[in-house]
Amino acid sequence: MQGNNSWTDVRMFYTKTGTAKYISHLDTVRCLSRAMKRAAVPIWFTEGFNPHAFLTFAMPLSLGVESYCETVDFRLTEEVDLTELTERLNATMPEGISVKKIAVPKFKASDIRYAEYEIVFAYPNESLIAKAHTLLASEEIMAEKKAKQGRKKVTKEINIKEHIKTYELSQKDGKLILKTVLSSGTSVNINPSLLISAIVKDTGIDERDADITKIQSYTENMEIFR
Amino acid sequence: MVKKEVEPLLKRVQKPAAYTGGELNSVIKDKNSVKLRYAFCFPDNYEIGMSHLGLKILYGLVNDREDAWCERVFAPWEDMEALMRENNIKLYAHESGDSLDEFDLIGFTLQYELSYTNVLNMLDLGGVPVLKKDRRTLTPIVIAGGPCVCNPEPMADFIDIFLPGEGEEVTNELVDLLIKHKEMGSTRLEFLREAAKIDGVYVPEFYDVEYNADGTVKSITNRETAPAKVKKRVISDLDTAFYPKDFVVPFIDVVHDRTVGEVFRGCIRGCRFCQAGFIGRPIREKSPEVINGQCRAISDATGYDEISLCSLSTSDYTKIDKLIPMLFDWALKENINVALPSLRVDNFSDELLEELKKIRRSGLTFAPEAGTQRLRDAINKNVTEDEVLNTAKKAFEGGWTAVKLYFMMGLPTEELEDIAGIADLAQKVVDLYYSNPNKPKGKAVTVSVSCASFVPKPFTPFQWEPQDTADMLQEKQKHLMESVKSRKISVSYHQSNTSVLEGVFARGDRRLGEVIYKAWQKGCKFDSWDEFFNFDNWLEAFAECGLTTEFYANRRREYDEILPWDHMDYGIRKEFLIEESKKAHKSETTPHCRIKCAACGANRLNGGKCDARK
Repeated sequence: MQGNNSWTDVRMFYTKTGTAKYISHLDTVRCLSRAMKRAAVPIWFTEGFNPHAFLTFAMPLSLGVESYCETVDFRLTEEVDLTELTERLNATMPEGISVKKIAVPKFKASDIRYAEYEIVFAYPNESLIAKAHTLLASEEIMAEKKAKQGRKKVTKEINIKEHIKTYELSQKDGKLILKTVLSSGTSVNINPSLLISAIVKDTGIDERDADITKIQSYTENMEIFR
Repeated sequence: MVKKEVEPLLKRVQKPAAYTGGELNSVIKDKNSVKLRYAFCFPDNYEIGMSHLGLKILYGLVNDREDAWCERVFAPWEDMEALMRENNIKLYAHESGDSLDEFDLIGFTLQYELSYTNVLNMLDLGGVPVLKKDRRTLTPIVIAGGPCVCNPEPMADFIDIFLPGEGEEVTNELVDLLIKHKEMGSTRLEFLREAAKIDGVYVPEFYDVEYNADGTVKSITNRETAPAKVKKRVISDLDTAFYPKDFVVPFIDVVHDRTVGEVFRGCIRGCRFCQAGFIGRPIREKSPEVINGQCRAISDATGYDEISLCSLSTSDYTKIDKLIPMLFDWALKENINVALPSLRVDNFSDELLEELKKIRRSGLTFAPEAGTQRLRDAINKNVTEDEVLNTAKKAFEGGWTAVKLYFMMGLPTEELEDIAGIADLAQKVVDLYYSNPNKPKGKAVTVSVSCASFVPKPFTPFQWEPQDTADMLQEKQKHLMESVKSRKISVSYHQSNTSVLEGVFARGDRRLGEVIYKAWQKGCKFDSWDEFFNFDNWLEAFAECGLTTEFYANRRREYDEILPWDHMDYGIRKEFLIEESKKAHKSETTPHCRIKCAACGANRLNGGKCDARK
């Protein structure tokens, strides 16, 4: 592909649901580049000694989280019909990964500011329900966030409440459902598991039993990330 | 497809994607529309098991039939097993999520002796009685294949049927037979009687073993329909033999995650320590067109970015000059790398060397196996010091700066001077690098010496040899460390009692079944993993059974002793092995099969044909 400069940068929107949520970020990268190869997508390869398909992900998704709003950017070296390309890729995707569409991106990956999650506690107890309401209504939700200071890994206390843009608690069929918009992106990124840990603390509920689904990513003005 | 009750466990284990199934190219069938369900079990974790070519071949082969469904089962890692036991979840197959006890045929591949306890553990976790005597109904039938089956005796208490040799044809014959007997409503015994009549089927319960007072085997007697000797199965024509059109593509990183093209079976070299080289005979080559086509199909179906050629010594493939350009022609254009392990660079043409420059350069590895010419002659590793140094020279001139040298320790006839010879040879490679006037500036050479402990194996000329004790090996390791003078040489060796156990089971008899059972009950599993291996538990188990490791590992056997595997026929004549053993003790070499046929006898199993002599 060297010397070819008539390329198109595109963004692929896909969902990662069911047991596909157990595919880690790194494994997803490999999984998608193999899919590109199977579908013979004319994708741009890096030109080093070890050429590989160049894929850029907006945000890595945590292991165990389902998502309806994953994106990956890549460069096409030939003109192809994007609808047809979507079909070709879907024909060769493993269970749980599904391409919604491929389009020319509107925003930069760094424009992401917020992400919306749905968190479901399938078997809540009284204590959890009460705790969720009081905690979310309080001024301060302190949590320990892993961070890096230079090369050193440290944990620092932060107030997640400042990073909860909206939240909505509801109950349905015995489940406790929390819909929330949290800060996301390159500068401040709040992993929903931080909030979940804070909620389940002292309730006897195991945080790992909360099902997390990422619904949508947004820009500063709450425009859907496209 | 995991069952609902497994889901909560997945969030609590390290590598959940090793337990979910749903990988691309995995085969889902309707269990009600097949006549037989086959569970292919690999007695190690997912990452190891999914790297195994035999699994891919047999999985494809059985699933190619409309009347059978083959699924994959692996040994769950510690964290997953604990959760499964805690929540009463049985070991399940990745495709359907159904537990092992729902299958008709349960097939294990025995690739290494230290996986034996995992077989027991998987059966138990899958709800299948571990001891074959406790399995009373027709199904499940537990079968086993793989290289360790050349001496299956230590596992005879747990396995109903062993399949020595290559599994492609006999698997189908056995599947046919079991379907028939399921339909007839036969008993287990009725089925086993018919199965024992198939070539290459070993039903251990139809053989009685008697022992002498000193613990050696007195006699092995066949009963019922069983033959006195069980011949291993051999696929006559690899070009027409089944080969998968795709591989299941794992989500997580597994050890070998790439397209594999099998090039040939068997080996012409005749290195006396190497079991694979003898039990894989006779030589059968695949044509380059077939290999190329198979690699193409699998690469297209998987999206893999690497192809690896597989054989015991790829440069001994007679048509390598034709195959390499054929593969490179399309693979390199599509950014697919071609890996060529097991290469002996010495016998390559210049054209081929030029071709090879196009691919990604991996580390340079030589396996002189022994430090002195005398010992290399004794083990029939027909490599001279000059050849090693010449190849290293070529490599250094080609820009390599790191060389790996593989050796073995504890070889028959080995003396301390042979150990010092390892250090000497490594030193010569270092010196060679610095004598190259065009060496890259400011770059130091590194020579890594890796020493494995030699374990004598059945069907090799060394099958009668005593294995070095741990003390002897320690002394040799110490001597090696003292002999190394340069800091450019790094030495690694595996100091562990695992090779003791490997040696015991490799040449063990049926009485070891009780030891394996007891060790498993004491918690032994994943014995090939340092973090799990518990030698004390093993020693306790041996003591409780009144057996010792020394009897099996460190004893010299006489040529006329009845060996526990004497009723297995791998084609290789015992007289040939005795001749080779005697030559070893005189440090005499035997030329490789293309120079002169050594009349090993393996071609008997293939109608007299062997591709070493065409």
